[in-house]
Amino acid sequence: MRRCLECAKKEPDRYCVECHYFIQPSPLRRVPSPPVRVLLEDEHGKQYPALILVLNTREFGLETAAPVPGRYVIRLQESLWVEVGGLPFKGKNNVHVFEILCVHRKQGTAPRLSKEEYQLLAGSASELVQEISRRLPEHLQDLVREKLLAEVEKSELINALKVGKVMKYEGGRFRYLSGQADLDLPMGEAEKLMRQAIRQAEHQREVIVSADGQKVFDLHCVPFDHRSGGLLAFDITEVIEKERKMHQQEVQAYREAIAAVTGGRLYLVNSEEMEKVVSEGTELAQGEVRQTHDIPEARQVMREALPGLDSRRRHAIELCLSEALANALKHAGGGWWQARQSGDTVRIIVQDRGPGIKTSELARATLMQHYSTKNSLGCGFTLMLYYADYLYLNTGPSGTTLALEFGIVPADRLKPDKDQ
Amino acid sequence: MLKVDVYVVGGVCRIVLNGELDMETVAQLQEVVGKVKEHTLEVDLSGVSLVDSTGLKSLLDISNDWRQKGGQMLILRPQPEVAEVMRLVGLDRLLAQSTALDGEEKEEQDDRSRHRE
Repeated sequence: MRRCLECAKKEPDRYCVECHYFIQPSPLRRVPSPPVRVLLEDEHGKQYPALILVLNTREFGLETAAPVPGRYVIRLQESLWVEVGGLPFKGKNNVHVFEILCVHRKQGTAPRLSKEEYQLLAGSASELVQEISRRLPEHLQDLVREKLLAEVEKSELINALKVGKVMKYEGGRFRYLSGQADLDLPMGEAEKLMRQAIRQAEHQREVIVSADGQKVFDLHCVPFDHRSGGLLAFDITEVIEKERKMHQQEVQAYREAIAAVTGGRLYLVNSEEMEKVVSEGTELAQGEVRQTHDIPEARQVMREALPGLDSRRRHAIELCLSEALANALKHAGGGWWQARQSGDTVRIIVQDRGPGIKTSELARATLMQHYSTKNSLGCGFTLMLYYADYLYLNTGPSGTTLALEFGIVPADRLKPDKDQ
Repeated sequence: MLKVDVYVVGGVCRIVLNGELDMETVAQLQEVVGKVKEHTLEVDLSGVSLVDSTGLKSLLDISNDWRQKGGQMLILRPQPEVAEVMRLVGLDRLLAQSTALDGEEKEEQDDRSRHRE
């Protein structure tokens, strides 16, 4: 149990109004970490967000902008809400004690939180695990406790336990034990997983997306015996979202770095941006690459599609086309290409459905200034970076698209005075 | 497309390439090079319009092979575009310095060489 550090420095059980942990000291006084987010609702339906900094079964220490004194309702679950009253003389600024006036449940009312309700708000992983294992045959308790704890810790989602749900499965039915009762789990999937766990006598874990695609659940099924087991379910929607955002930020930073070191010539683009890049202008030529022989053929087609280029430009375009096709052949077993012209710009676009270029490999390939005998991708990329005016790259597990852009102003149209 | 001709003059083997040296044709060059016994190998690129990264790597490998055997491999008369690629990837050190003498040498060679293919 965590106690107030301020108080602990002085005298552990002293009543303290100087700090947040000012509610009546008792063995059940608990500081949830992180603070639990709730909404206070006044009689007119106006809502105030609040953080439960500390609680016992009779009082909450809340940080909220809701005015005190005042009566509010906190809805914890659909069929569980708590009436509270703020005490202006206990606390200061935004932090006050809110007395629990009445706990409303399906089965009636009570003057204080039940143990399970209290644990729901104050609980930690080990308490929930204790809770499950307490209801098991004695000889299994330690084993299951150990196993569950190990699995919970492994899941890296221990922090998400606040929005977890624990159920017991027995004789084909799930029974709610503790945690977030209103967590709307895909029970069909959960049962399938549980049966598998029981059949194989092995812990099973699966990440499942709800039918509407809105929620992501991390389900853990632990078999107890041949007909029962425990289910731990976490709503990891937020975690996934956070990870996705972090990944996006990483990609963004990476894109900027790549653009910077290539002098603003190589752009990592997303599929939408690439769609735009590959649809501009009109098609000059196109083809497929399935074997090495298709590469000289593609050069030939390209030569015929763009007659009258100066030899340096022609060579640059043919070499880059060759390198891009060779990469598609080597790393994806083949692909498609097309050349498009838009004014004085020609783009060579090569697409494949290979496994994509790993970001680490891409960095090496892009940043390497010199020829490497070990890495011909590096060399090919070096050549393309040198010869193409701009490169657009979209790569991922479902394929790679590379667009190479060349200016093709014919020599006779180059004006000596660029300002005009 | 690549045409590979081999001329041997004294202890020097000269391979004259015509066409494109790339992923598709590089095996042709390697096959011919595999049979060369001479100490000095010259690869004439004057008829080559394009060398891709696979071709470049192959030239580097051949050069390393020859150096390891105590011999020497030189590249002669690349077209300007090919010379630029070689400079770009650091293979210009394989270029023969004596391009001025090369013309005379070629004429002499035509008289005395024995045409292998």
